[in-house]
Amino acid sequence: MTSISLKEIKTFTYERPAIERGYANQTLYIDLSRNFIEIRPVSRQMKDVFIGGKGFDLWLLWQAVKPDTKWNDPENAICISSGPMGGTPAYPGSGKSIVTALSPATGTVIDSNVGGYFGPYLKFSGFDALQVQGKAGEPAVIFIDGVEEKVRIFSARDLPDDAYALSEALTEHFGGKKRRYISVVSAGTGARNSLMGCLNFSWYDPKRKRARYKQAGRGGIGTVFEDKGIKAIVARWDSVSLDTNNPADKEALKKVAKLHSREIVELDPKQNQMSKIGTTHLVPIMNDFDLLPTNNYKFGQDPRAILIGREVYEALFDPGFDGCWLGCTVACAHGVRDFVPVTGPYKGKKVFVDGPEYETVAGCGSNLGIWDPHVILEFNFYCDAYGLDTISIGTSFAFVMECYEMGLIDSRATGGLELNFGNRPAALELLHQVARGEGFGKIVGQGIRRMKKIFAEKFGADPAVMEDIGMESKGLEFSEYMTKESLAQQGGYGMALKGPQHDEAWLIFLDMVHNFMPTFEQKAEALHWFPMFRTWFGLCGLCKLPWNDIVPEDNKDTEEPAKVMKHVQWYAEYFYAVTGRKVGPDDLITMSEAVYNFQRIFNLRMGFGRREHDTIPYRAVGPVTVEEYESRRERYDRQLKEKHGVDIEGKDTAEKVALLRKFRQELYEKLKDAVYKRRGWTADGIPTLATVKRLKIDFPEVVEVLKANGVTE
Amino acid sequence: MIKVGDREVAWRPGMTLADLLEEALEDGDFYAVVRLDGKLVSRPNFATTKVADGAQVELIPMVAGG
Ligand code: SF4
Repeated sequence: MTSISLKEIKTFTYERPAIERGYANQTLYIDLSRNFIEIRPVSRQMKDVFIGGKGFDLWLLWQAVKPDTKWNDPENAICISSGPMGGTPAYPGSGKSIVTALSPATGTVIDSNVGGYFGPYLKFSGFDALQVQGKAGEPAVIFIDGVEEKVRIFSARDLPDDAYALSEALTEHFGGKKRRYISVVSAGTGARNSLMGCLNFSWYDPKRKRARYKQAGRGGIGTVFEDKGIKAIVARWDSVSLDTNNPADKEALKKVAKLHSREIVELDPKQNQMSKIGTTHLVPIMNDFDLLPTNNYKFGQDPRAILIGREVYEALFDPGFDGCWLGCTVACAHGVRDFVPVTGPYKGKKVFVDGPEYETVAGCGSNLGIWDPHVILEFNFYCDAYGLDTISIGTSFAFVMECYEMGLIDSRATGGLELNFGNRPAALELLHQVARGEGFGKIVGQGIRRMKKIFAEKFGADPAVMEDIGMESKGLEFSEYMTKESLAQQGGYGMALKGPQHDEAWLIFLDMVHNFMPTFEQKAEALHWFPMFRTWFGLCGLCKLPWNDIVPEDNKDTEEPAKVMKHVQWYAEYFYAVTGRKVGPDDLITMSEAVYNFQRIFNLRMGFGRREHDTIPYRAVGPVTVEEYESRRERYDRQLKEKHGVDIEGKDTAEKVALLRKFRQELYEKLKDAVYKRRGWTADGIPTLATVKRLKIDFPEVVEVLKANGVTE
Repeated sequence: MIKVGDREVAWRPGMTLADLLEEALEDGDFYAVVRLDGKLVSRPNFATTKVADGAQVELIPMVAGG
């Protein structure tokens, strides 16, 4: 056993409530500045309107911060909640936690949906949500012990600095022989030294006898965690069964859980085979459809994609059960055993890598012109261990590499690193610099929005070019899909509340490949329904993958195959079975709408959340450079002629680039109009009073924010 | 003979995936990705991918995942 020394500075004893229909009916509040701990009640209204998970988090965060609160102010709060169905062992994908805080990247609310056992263990220990404010004087470990009914704060000076060693050490320390009943949340040095820190949520893998982890990656919540002086938050619980959530109708729960679980076991092997290869199948598919971001989203395809695709990782993944929550038959959380990094503090040592998933392969591979699966694994391993978001790292590095190749910055700026696309040693060195907060890495770790400013001011780089090629919106880096040929997905990214992450809407296939929604109204409808339904998973403690990554065999014959309505119906039954609230598919959408609109208004309260904030860089919309246009000249020429009625004879490529830009940007603005209208928002993208009333979120402070922004009807 | 999921479909020389989906399946245009003998093939490559006699094809219903 690793010997670690923790000094107890606060112990809080409580009586654990019985879980009723998926709720503990109370939350845990901790202020680290005062070592203050208290239990707060969950009201009926909170459950009715905010449901749980992200809804609870947002409500708690709204109370905690003021309009001028900054991400590193003590009152910024890290909120973690699962949801009423979170912790159900038999229904696939039911162990998620949602984390929110004010983001260092965007300055407004960020939310991240993550696996691992923490959320369910927190709830079963007696708390629907955890809210941590303040800053610890010394590095702190918070231990929520549902077995002993104690919450303890320790000061911890000599713990490992990286999440890989720390999760293992704390699992061992607190779990002893019962390690599967421990879940550790931690970040790392990279989170401390950059603005793109992630959180690692652990789960214990009994077969491999080690702590594994999943990441709450987006928007720098790990950075907030480190800024608060938190080393780790640990939850301890005991065994879990279908009864632990004390569901309203256990028989109904058993029935619907069995249906979904069995269907996955039967169909996943015939469909995407996620239990074997996770999400890596997306690499060759995206590449074939010209959607795999390559060299900072310049291109969508490269013949070398085969080197980093499904087959390669199938051979590398360690076979075995990889569910990040008990009983998830999708079991897609794969990893690589005995990987040996060639750089950094673990150089030459055997490690276990949790991943990679598609986003990491594309972000730290194709988008950097790196077609080496081992370098991607090394990125994956160190990003997790350092507590860095692989998506923001990948997209930021891609931006830097293009700036370097365009001559916007040179090797004097990069401290001698030759950051051409495909330079693997330089890219890995930059990663270690970001984690240490040293050299050029200190600048890169601040993310694209700040880099654009620094490059212009310090190195004289052209701001207009960087605006076009810097793939961020609202201050958050894009996740890894090409959107140039899918207007709906441009909207999916641009109008996402937290910034361009695809968890709100992934409409590329629907829009571009299947052409299921040719009109603006159809796209707007999709940009209403899909973000709402996807939001719902985050309210309930669920993973969205079982909904639409494995679909019923007769799904294609239904009216709207993309919605997979048979599963939506199952989810409505599942919600009833746990909470006792009878609902239908439409009710699930309304629940989400309330939280979704509340989050939009929260953004508004923080000075964001208007039309202007839904702007995306032109690289996401169309070809920025002559090189890009020429690479798909036939396509763009045809569009100019046939779609826009332009006579292209005699026009050079630069003129055609400019013309196409004008048309495409107009279309994006028209799309905004249609979506805002469908969502019940003003033309400036603000929910109307009528919308807020319909959704029963017309609390006085909400109405006040609308009023202050000129919305009174 | 080719196996498409659990169904059997007649094979002919020179048959491509595009031919198979168009001729033998009523709803062939719904599928943008298939697995041919264990390898993923996407629609842009259907017309140039030959199907061998005895091949096993799985139709992958990718619509709104991701
Ligand atoms: S589908 Fe994958 S990510 Fe989702 S809960 Fe299951 S194992 Fe975890």
